[in-house]
Amino acid sequence: MIQVRGLEKRFGDRCLFAGLDLDFAVGRTTVITGRSGAGKSTLLRILNQLERHDAGVVRSDGLEIPAGLPHGEWKRRAARLRRRTGMVFQGYQLFPHLSVLANVTLAPIRGKRVPAADARAQALQLLESVGMAAVADRYPARLSGGESQRVAIARALAMEPEVLLLDEPTSALDPASARDVVGVIQRLRARGFTQVLVTHQHELAQQLADQLVDLDR
Amino acid sequence: MKCLVAMLAGAVLLPAQIELPARYRTAGVLRWASDAEGGAPFVYVDPADPQHEIGFEVELAAELAAVLGVRMVRTQTPWEHLVEGLNRGDFDLVMNGFEPTTDRLPQVRFTRPYYIFQQQLAAMAGSTTATLADCTGRRVGCLGGSASNLVLKQQPGIETVVYEDPSKIYVEIADGRNFAALADLPIAMFYAPQHPGVQLAGPPFGEFFYAIAVRKDEPELQRALDAGIVQLLRDGALERVYRKWGMWSAVEDRLREDRMASLLQGTVPGESAAAATFAWRPSLERMLAGAAVTAGISVAAFLVAIVLGLLLALTRLYGPRPLQWLAVAYIETFRGTPVLVQLLFLYYGLGQIPSLPKLEAWQAGILGLGLNYAAYEAEVYRGAIQGIPRGQVEAALALSLSGPLTLRFVVLPQALRLALPASTNDFIALFKDSSIVMVITVVELSKQYNMLASASGRHIALGLVTCALYLAMSLPLAFCARRFERALERDRR
Repeated sequence: MIQVRGLEKRFGDRCLFAGLDLDFAVGRTTVITGRSGAGKSTLLRILNQLERHDAGVVRSDGLEIPAGLPHGEWKRRAARLRRRTGMVFQGYQLFPHLSVLANVTLAPIRGKRVPAADARAQALQLLESVGMAAVADRYPARLSGGESQRVAIARALAMEPEVLLLDEPTSALDPASARDVVGVIQRLRARGFTQVLVTHQHELAQQLADQLVDLDR
Repeated sequence: MKCLVAMLAGAVLLPAQIELPARYRTAGVLRWASDAEGGAPFVYVDPADPQHEIGFEVELAAELAAVLGVRMVRTQTPWEHLVEGLNRGDFDLVMNGFEPTTDRLPQVRFTRPYYIFQQQLAAMAGSTTATLADCTGRRVGCLGGSASNLVLKQQPGIETVVYEDPSKIYVEIADGRNFAALADLPIAMFYAPQHPGVQLAGPPFGEFFYAIAVRKDEPELQRALDAGIVQLLRDGALERVYRKWGMWSAVEDRLREDRMASLLQGTVPGESAAAATFAWRPSLERMLAGAAVTAGISVAAFLVAIVLGLLLALTRLYGPRPLQWLAVAYIETFRGTPVLVQLLFLYYGLGQIPSLPKLEAWQAGILGLGLNYAAYEAEVYRGAIQGIPRGQVEAALALSLSGPLTLRFVVLPQALRLALPASTNDFIALFKDSSIVMVITVVELSKQYNMLASASGRHIALGLVTCALYLAMSLPLAFCARRFERALERDRR
């Protein structure tokens, strides 16, 4: 379980969150909403330390990341935290020089040293589960937004994270593509996968949230 | 009758009436060309008074001007382009220790000789070398396009190393790279003593001539200059000048012999006439050999540039602070100074430090060009790496890929595509810039062209062949680079 306590993030003289306390319960899908600039994406990025916080602490099963750690120590703990979290970016951030399959297998093979054949089999299974097995050999430039997003989810899941972080997963998609992506997220939710999802779309928030956090309140 | 004899006798005793062609008389000026770079003792900048040029030919020109009744104005021209400049009409005559060679005879007209010189060998101090035969199987330096060069060519079994600058031909004897050097006696007398560890070897030999060259279609000018030289011989001015410069010896008395008047009209004494015909096949073979040197040096230098450039770019981007500063200092130094200076420094400069290993010229060429282009490549790669969106690195980070893995599998493959057009451009530029290694005695394509063209006067034909050879190498290169780029682009289709 990930917890944040007394969280603050400063941008110049602006302070976000003002001592936010939150628990992201295991097996639940937490949806974070709020207007633009409320810090939704920033909060998500703090949860895997792509962004450092200025006060408070981020906790995950015995791993403590208080603000102001020396750089070396912070780097070690952030790396451990990232191994437990998968991230799906708003702009997908697929690697354009790699095929869909290679996008999914890169981190398991190179980072986790999973044998290539095993990694490929697992990747194909994941792609199957998001409905993208048929395009495994394509390059990202030939995918639609919805397809890219589903591949991005498969890529994040390939590292077997405990928590999946999704940043505005449907906001750039047409309704049909958005439905496909929401379908994937709902299946993960049904399986009891822990998810934290950021969106500004209230309807989507209502539809997916086990726990709803409104940063405007 | 008596009167007539007296008149004839008087005419012989009187100074000869020297009649310059009308256009020179009207202008009152004769333009003479020579090269003051490494030009001692012919013409060079006076070290004691650098505003002035001195040399025995400067004084000779003044004496000639006096007897011809015109001013003599000097035009600075690179030595290897004196013939071309003359025939283009940039000046009227060449007087610069210019030897009538088989190559030059069809292209210009020579006056009678104004100096007779011999060849002088020089070798490492203490050696017993005395003749060319002692040099068999060894490297011997000489001045490109000189009489010494021809003498060495006709001597079997000697590896000739050609220099542009007479002050350089002795440098590599002292440090052991060359076995000996052959030069015209005046050059040897002037330069060899400046090099500790070098001594003149054996007696001077042969009979060679310096003569003034004019354009082929100006026999009147040639005859006027002949008359001027005879005049200076008669009134002792020539001997005075040579004695002052320590160049007079009994050999010079032969200048007065009758055979001198027509000696240089037609063929060169001591050389076969057959050598004068231009042979395409061996010329092309030499140019192909030059092209191979150009290609080899360029490819090797660019490999050095790629590896070192990538190291520099990564150091500058990700290295610890002090190393970042070093990388910046390297890049700015090598970009901000001429590659010509870097090459000369690398070859001749470092060659003076005894504890350093002696680089061969081609090694220095590859290293020099590689070190220089590495600075440019470093900036190309840095730009390309910084051109990769931040989100790509964050995505790799979120997937728990380490820094080095991110670099290798995410950043560099994408940066390669961004860097390729600029890098190809640099390679083609390096390819052409590689001709600069001729300053450190590497004989590549441009140098072969230069040598063959100035020897034969066939600048247009040989120039076109040279360009064709460069294009034959650079066009496929550009083509391959584009194909490679397209292959990398496939994910964008």
